[in-house]
Amino acid sequence: MPPKVKTDLTTRIKDLVFRNPLTVASGTFGTKGEYAPFVDYSKLGAIITKTITVNPRAGNPMPRICEVTGGMLNAIGLQNKGLQDFLENKIPFFAGIPTPLIVNIAGETTEEFEALARALEPHKRVVRALEINLSCPNVEKGGAGFMRKRERILDVMKAVRSHTGLFIFAKLSPELGDVLEIGEDVVKAGAGGLSLINTLKGMAIDIEKRRPRIANLTGGLSGPAIKPVALRHVYEAKKALGVPVIASGGIMSAPDAIEFLIAGADLLAVGTANFVNPSATLDILAGIKDYGRRHGLENLDQLRGTLQVSPGHGDAGGGG
Amino acid sequence: MVDLPVRILENKRINGKYYKLVFRSKRLAARVEPGQFLNLQIVPGTDPFLRRPFSYYRLEDERIEILYEVLGRGTALLAARAKGDGLRISGPFGRAFKKNLGKKKRILVAGGVGVPPLVFLSERYGCDYLLIGTKSREEVLPKRELAGVRGKILYATNDGSYGLKGYVTKLLENLIKNFPAKEIFIQTCGPGVMMQAVIDIARREGLEGEASVDKPMACAVGACLGCMVKTPSGWVPSCTEGPVFKFQDICERL
Ligand SMILES: Cc1cc2nc3c(=O)[nH]c(=O)nc-3n(C[C@H](O)[C@H](O)[C@H](O)COP(=O)(O)OP(=O)(O)OC[C@H]3O[C@@H](n4cnc5c(N)ncnc54)[C@H](O)[C@@H]3O)c2cc1C
Ligand SMILES: Cc1cc2nc3c(=O)[nH]c(=O)nc-3n(C[C@H](O)[C@H](O)[C@H](O)COP(=O)(O)O)c2cc1C
Ligand code: FES
Repeated sequence: MPPKVKTDLTTRIKDLVFRNPLTVASGTFGTKGEYAPFVDYSKLGAIITKTITVNPRAGNPMPRICEVTGGMLNAIGLQNKGLQDFLENKIPFFAGIPTPLIVNIAGETTEEFEALARALEPHKRVVRALEINLSCPNVEKGGAGFMRKRERILDVMKAVRSHTGLFIFAKLSPELGDVLEIGEDVVKAGAGGLSLINTLKGMAIDIEKRRPRIANLTGGLSGPAIKPVALRHVYEAKKALGVPVIASGGIMSAPDAIEFLIAGADLLAVGTANFVNPSATLDILAGIKDYGRRHGLENLDQLRGTLQVSPGHGDAGGGG
Repeated sequence: MVDLPVRILENKRINGKYYKLVFRSKRLAARVEPGQFLNLQIVPGTDPFLRRPFSYYRLEDERIEILYEVLGRGTALLAARAKGDGLRISGPFGRAFKKNLGKKKRILVAGGVGVPPLVFLSERYGCDYLLIGTKSREEVLPKRELAGVRGKILYATNDGSYGLKGYVTKLLENLIKNFPAKEIFIQTCGPGVMMQAVIDIARREGLEGEASVDKPMACAVGACLGCMVKTPSGWVPSCTEGPVFKFQDICERL
């Protein structure tokens, strides 16, 4: 029998230290202590906030969510109470939790991104990194649509970079275009890492009423349905760019999470799974520990990016 | 709030409309008030993907009863689950109906999936009237299910096969003539069109009341912002700020 080891789950990204790789995907874990009855927040590796915008946003009309095969569609529309509320009410809450906080921000203009970065800078003790949402499919301005222009993305990245010393993850989705190309661009413009992927734009129709099941017509697809797509982007980005990556997209269980680690992910953001199982994060953590023990891993770097690809394979495209 | 595995003690059809699910859980039964709900994972795994919300129907110590209608795939799968099977359930969630109405008459207006929480409310705190609207006699709850209601029960059926012929709002219109407006408090739960008709009557007659709204839900804890209701202070999650709202706080047509 191999010796039973306790796997050290500590995850390091530059000078940031996370007790484990488990975090929560933006917009799926509330804004304050919504999951506290089910999850001890201090056991998570990091917490990622819902997207914060400069001004409060009312969000989209209802219905905003619907279930689909293998996941759900959402068109929340970045509803949030705005920057001022975040600084006054949310920062003090997170200051009381030892877990590193990553704040997700979005703007309708480059100036708004800049203002957010500048306003969060003095709160470095609590806010340990920024995640720049370049890829929300559900808003007209500042969403994936607006961002599809390469120059805009680069302007935003440069502006944020020049107004903060915080580590920056750029959150991308295939909705923007070629993830690898954009990823390379944003890294050159100052992103330290990438967050892959945001939801994929989709639709569902109520056939009795012949009406869209999401008032906004389209919504972002999340959950198990997008996991293979997310896994591919994480793998390709790690391989091509080698920068730190936060993975999100259908991480429902420990085996899902372990796939992303093998593909090279640094942090694992559990999203929609929280809705299905409120203690998903901690259940996944327990499953990773168990896997580590079974496989005699001393630390997660013995697992990260260890996908075995036969020579001559792995560079091919997809499809049969 | 807890999230626990439970075992089904009973799950069977009780009439032409409803099924009853029974299980036991001390923690899910602790400090529950009528109007609150549970979020139930119907089958382990991810299909159906989301949990489904159900109101508490009856509590006896640790014994919890849910009354449900089969409306779609999720509830059809629930109806197929057997005694002894496991379910994962979280709760209790949401804000309850107002329990102390002072000297006001408590008039409950129920239909469809809104019947269970109002039966619970009237069993626990009593009511003056419980008005129930349904399609026909086959859908009327068996007597033993209503034996604990402390108040007068009036039925309206669409086809007139039981009680008054017509909509439940006709019962309400007739009833409110007997009392001064300021002595009435209405609590309603059921199909959107029914609750909207009740609210319209209340607005017209200047009556106070509450409605338990029914929105698609995912998280049940105020995190996803999917279950929103339009209020004077903007969109708020019905899972945490509701599902019970004062009539005047509902700024949309249900
Ligand atoms: C707070 C709250 C408490 C509830 N309490 C109860 C309860 O005590 N008993 C009970 O039977 N149901 C209750 N419901 C409704 C229940 O959650 C839905 O009926 C259930 O989610 C339907 O799931 P499904 O997969 O069977 O239907 P779906 O496949 O989701 O929908 C199938 C069909 O049912 C209709 N439908 C879907 N959801 C609803 C709904 N919420 N109300 C009316 N029609 C709907 C759809 O329009 C569609 O035509 C409650 C809902 C809420 C929000
Ligand atoms: C209800 C909901 C709200 C979301 N809100 C945001 C958001 O505000 N900002 C953001 O960057 N991503 C948001 N996302 C995307 C998630 O963070 C995540 O990237 C995506 O859902 C894929 O992961 P999953 O399949 O595990 O959910 C949201 C997703 C859902 C389901
Ligand atoms: S169901 Fe998620 S906010 Fe209400």
